[in-house]
This record gives sequence, structure tokens and C-alpha cells, in this order.
Amino acid sequence: MQGANILLEPGVFPRLLQGLWVTVWIAAVSVLLSVPVGLVCGWLMTLRNPVVRVIMRVYLDFIRIMPQLALLFIAYYGIARAWNWNLDATGACVLVFILWGGAELGDLTRGALQSIPEVQHETAYMLGLSNWQAFIHVILPQAVRRLLPGSVNLATRIVKTTSLAVLLGVVEVIKVGQQIIDANRFQYPTGTLWVYGVIFLMYFIVCWPLSLVAHALEKRWAND
Amino acid sequence: MLDWSFIERYAPFFVNGAWMTLFISVFGIALAVITGLICAAVETARIPVLRQAVAVYIEISRNTPLLVQLYFLYFGLPKLGFVWSAEMCAIIGLGFLGGSYMAESMRAGLQAVPQIQRENAYMLGFNRRQTLVHVVIPQAISISTPGIVANIIFLIKESSVVSAIALADVMYMAKDLMGITYDTYESLFMLIVTYLIILLPISILGTWLERRFDYARR
Amino acid sequence: MTETNKPDAHGAPIALSVRDLTKHYADAAHNVFDGISFDVPKGKVLVVVGPSGSGKSTLLRTIAGLEPIQGGTIALNGDVIETGQPGNENSGRVKRGEDLRTKFGMVFQSYDLFPNKDVLGNITMAPMLVQKRKKEEVEREALELLDRVHLADRAHAKPHELSGGQRQRVAICRALILHPEILLLDEITAALDPEMVHEVLEVVVELADAGQTMLIVTHEMSFARAIADRVILLSDGGIAERSDDPETFFTHPKTARAQEFLHSFDFVRHRNAQAERELKAFDDE
Repeated sequence: MQGANILLEPGVFPRLLQGLWVTVWIAAVSVLLSVPVGLVCGWLMTLRNPVVRVIMRVYLDFIRIMPQLALLFIAYYGIARAWNWNLDATGACVLVFILWGGAELGDLTRGALQSIPEVQHETAYMLGLSNWQAFIHVILPQAVRRLLPGSVNLATRIVKTTSLAVLLGVVEVIKVGQQIIDANRFQYPTGTLWVYGVIFLMYFIVCWPLSLVAHALEKRWAND
Repeated sequence: MLDWSFIERYAPFFVNGAWMTLFISVFGIALAVITGLICAAVETARIPVLRQAVAVYIEISRNTPLLVQLYFLYFGLPKLGFVWSAEMCAIIGLGFLGGSYMAESMRAGLQAVPQIQRENAYMLGFNRRQTLVHVVIPQAISISTPGIVANIIFLIKESSVVSAIALADVMYMAKDLMGITYDTYESLFMLIVTYLIILLPISILGTWLERRFDYARR
Repeated sequence: MTETNKPDAHGAPIALSVRDLTKHYADAAHNVFDGISFDVPKGKVLVVVGPSGSGKSTLLRTIAGLEPIQGGTIALNGDVIETGQPGNENSGRVKRGEDLRTKFGMVFQSYDLFPNKDVLGNITMAPMLVQKRKKEEVEREALELLDRVHLADRAHAKPHELSGGQRQRVAICRALILHPEILLLDEITAALDPEMVHEVLEVVVELADAGQTMLIVTHEMSFARAIADRVILLSDGGIAERSDDPETFFTHPKTARAQEFLHSFDFVRHRNAQAERELKAFDDE
């Protein structure tokens, strides 16, 4: 049990929190930037233009079928080099999470938009609303309700997937943990258990509230 | 352009990697299905205490990343005396992660069987076991199949993370070859192709099953 | 001889006898039924009518054992099979033995065949599993029943390939094959498209002619009038009017409640008749 004392070493806990901050920051930026990308993708997916449809379909299917880790490698080692980008590991992570989050959110948006019955559009038309007014006052409020629970779930998934950043060499919470373990290898041989345990807990503490929110939204709006 | 001779030379590496990915995935998914079945049964039967334990497990499993679960299993637990091989850790990790997803899909399937189907069975004189075996479970399977297939795809994808505990799966091969040969594009190309070969058929099967079983949802 | 199995006025033995039935939901302020009593003689048809929310379906469900009762008794062929217990609102479906359950055949409003079985499988499942009858014999009888409802050629169709009217006819066969003492029909045409109502009701009329005991809840007044041997009007937790003479009930109801209820249907009928006359006059011109 004395391995637990590694957590009480000066600087250890603050450093882990700093690492967690990097994780949360990457996730937050990715989620925020996914939103506009996702809304545009969702709108594109509802278009009837066959070229747009096929492109969006291939994009979504490719993103969905590839492991996120493979996508990270493709972005970091492939795209960055091919286009001569000076993309660091953090940048590659954010890029992948935006492309991935955008595609998934796009599909959610498409589903939400298409789930609104045609009669809602028709009623708005008969009431004399313009297309834009109909979208803002009739369609969007209903779509958002259907969209939000899934989006919060997606955010949880993005936070969890941020853990993969360590495999590209980003210094986030797991990397910090590994550094702490290495530095205290002789003083605390069982420190590994405690440090990874704490990281495990940290992820849970970040993700769990998001899950609860998603669940509450689902329940509240299930019957609308 | 891609260097085809490289691809020819190193294709066997990816075949080996694919076998490792499939090996870990098959056992991990099997463990996940068993775990899911137990959890769904406990939840449906409303067994006290166990039910709360299942709820806690599902929250933990769904709200932590597989990579951290694996590090904990592979590097952390040996300090308590539980020493497992990397393969074992990977399978347990996938099973631990996938169990909650499978449980959710199965429970959703059981709940989606309309109450009136049970009432019909009651009126026809079926006992509890007959109702479950002949009415509820066949319909629940139809309803949960698309979700279970989606979980299978998800778990195979997640299995790419096991490269982080030095298991030579597809991901590991690509990373290794990039390090050794610097032929980045070819390695990435092979990485994509290998995953497509593994996952596309399952994905197509999933879509087909979903369409086929659609009647059960009506 | 107890009160519950006295033959009725015409001498027929009583199949189903309900006495002082009281039904209450846990969260409700009022009882759904406050001690209602009625009999269904063997081979006769009792039709229950009443406004929406009067508890017609609940009545059928309590008799079927799907919901517990809080007072009164239900007797089948003179034997009391259930006695109400106050406070059992949430106890779920009544624990009845398999053979007792199969004595009540039920067809629900929403057509609910088992989607995982074909038509024949739906019909033969219960006799084989519950009554342990032989497959060949059960299948032969199932095909005979299907023939009676004009569906012999659909024996191997899946439920989702059938129309609503066809599904309801299969559901009737599924209930009949168990040879129930009484058939409970809960608004079996309410969810159907109008053009399918007839094909289902026709089957029910044939069953009545063949002497099948039935308890029917329906909104189809002309059907009720044609098929009923007895009628009860359910309203506000009680029986507002009962009649052994359906023709009189539908043409000259005694109580104000029945007049009001039937008037709401008459209004529609008169309007339709008037529209028809006008249309005819227009054609004649």
C-alpha cells in the first residue's frame, strides 16, 4: 500500500492535473470545432445532389470504419508529410478529432433534420413563413432536441479517444503519468498501479457527468 | 506513387498482424458477449445487489478509455501480483469494455419487445420459460442484432490500441515498418487496406442484417 | 346451486359470470369499475359498448387475467376462478394455470402476431407447447381454421407480409385452436383500414352462428346490433343500461345515458344517409 504515497510526493498531483488539463483542452477544442463542421456536413448530407451525396457517404464510411488510432497515424505521418505541413502531434490529434467528430455529428444532424415530418415544413409554408423563418423557428428547435443527446455522447467518446494522443507523443495526462512512474521507479516500485489507477479515475470523473447529461437529455426528450 | 515491390515484400507482415487483430478481437468479443448476457440477464431479472453492481460496472466501462484500462491491467495490476500476458490483458480489456456495450444492446432488444407480445403468450397459456424462449428472446435477438454487429465493429477497431502493449497487430506492423523502412505511404496504405478487408464485410453484413430484421421493429 | 351458475332466463347455462367486479388503479382517484355484474350464457354473444375511457378494454383485460381485480368474483362454468383482493393493484398479471388461461381466447386491438413465426407457426405454437398436442393433428386443424377464414393459401406467409385484416383473422385462428370456453375480442377492428373491417367482422359473425361464446368490445354499432344476444353499456364505472333484447336497445334505449351515447353514432349515420340521398338525387337529375 505504501506505493500510494507516490501520489503525495510534492508536485505529482499538480503535474497529473496539468496533464489532464492538456487532455481536456484537446477534447474541448475538438468538440467545439466539430460543431460547425458537423452542422455543415449534416446539411450537405441532406442535399439531393448525387455527387455531394457520394462524397459525403464515402467520407463518413471511411471515417467510421477506420480505427481512430489508424486515422491519427494517417494524419500525423501521412497527410502532414504529403502536404508539407508542419503539423505537430497535438495538431494532428485535433485535426483527426474534428474530421471524425464532424462526420459523426453530421450524420446525427442529418438524422435529426430528416426525422422532422414533412408536414412541419408544409404547415410552415401554409402559414406564410419563409424558408429561412421555417428553418429557424420550426425545424431547428425540433432538430436540436433530437440532436443534443447524441452529441453529448459523441463528446464523451472524443474525450475518451483523446487518450490515444499519448501514442503520437503528446504530453498529456498518460504521458505525465509515465514520466512520474519512470522518475520514481526505485523509490516506489508499485507506483505504476496507483498512477494508472488515478488516471483511470480522472477519465471517469471527466466522462461520467457527460454521460449522465446525455442520459438525462435522452430521457427528457424521448417522447417529443 | 506507391512502391508496389515494398507492398509485395511486406504484405505477409500485415497478414500476420491481421491474424493477431482477429485473435484478440474474437476472444475479446466472445468475452464481451458473455459479460453482456450476464449483465442483461441480471438487469432484466432485477436481481438486487447484483443489479447495482452491473450498473456500476457499465458506468466505469463506458466512461474510461480502453488504453487506460489496458495500461492499468498490463502495467498496474502486476504490482498486486496479477501477472497476465499481453494477449490476456488485451482480451480482458476488450471484454471489459465491450461487455457494457453488448449489455446495452441486449437490454434494449429485450425492452423493445412489446408488452402485448407477452400478454398474447399469457393468453395462449405459455409458462414463463416458454414465453421467454419462444416469444421474447427470438424477437429480442432480431432487434438487438444490428446493435451487436455495430459493437463488434467497434471492438475490432478498438483492438488497434493493443499495439500499445506490444502486441503485433495490424497497427503495430504499420508503425514498426514506418520506423524501420521510412516508407510511410506504403505502410499507411497497407494499414488502411488491411482494416478495410477485415471490417468492410462485417459492416456490409450489418447493414444487410438490419434491413432483414427490420420487420421485428414494427 | 350457487347464484353464479344459474341458467339464464332462456335456460342456457352460464359460461362466464362476473359479480361485483371492482377495479382500481394504484395512482387513480376513482375506481374504474364499482362493483359491476353480468353473465354470458354459453353459446351467446355479449357486446360491451360505451364511450372511450369507460373501461371497456380494462373489463376484458381483467376477465382475461392480464390485470388484477380489487373486488368481486369471476366465475367460469360455475367455478369461481378469481376473487378480488383490495390493494393488489401492482401485482401484475394474475397467476393462473396454463389450462385455465387457454380457456380464454383473446384477440387484441393492435394486431400482434409473433413476428418471428409464420402464420402456421403462430397458430400451432400454443397447442403444441402448452397442450402437448401432436404436430400433424394441430397443423391439420390450423389449416382447417385458416380455410374457414379464407387464408389457407397464406399459411407460410410471415406476419409482416399480411394486411391488418388478414393478421386479425390469423389472430382469431390462433385463439380458436385452443378451443377456448369464451372468446374475448377487444375492438379488433379499431386499428384497421375501413375496407378491411368487413372481412374480419364476417368471420366473427360466422363464429357466433356456430355457437361460439363471445364477449365483444366494439365501436361498430351496426355490427354490435347484428351480432349481440345481450348488450351492456358501460359508463362512469358502472353499467348504465343492460338489455337482453339488442334490437330494442339500439332503437329505443331506455336510459338517458344510452340515448345520448347512441345519438352520437346516429348523428353520423343520419348525415351519411342524407348525403347519400342528396348524391342520388343529383345523379337522378
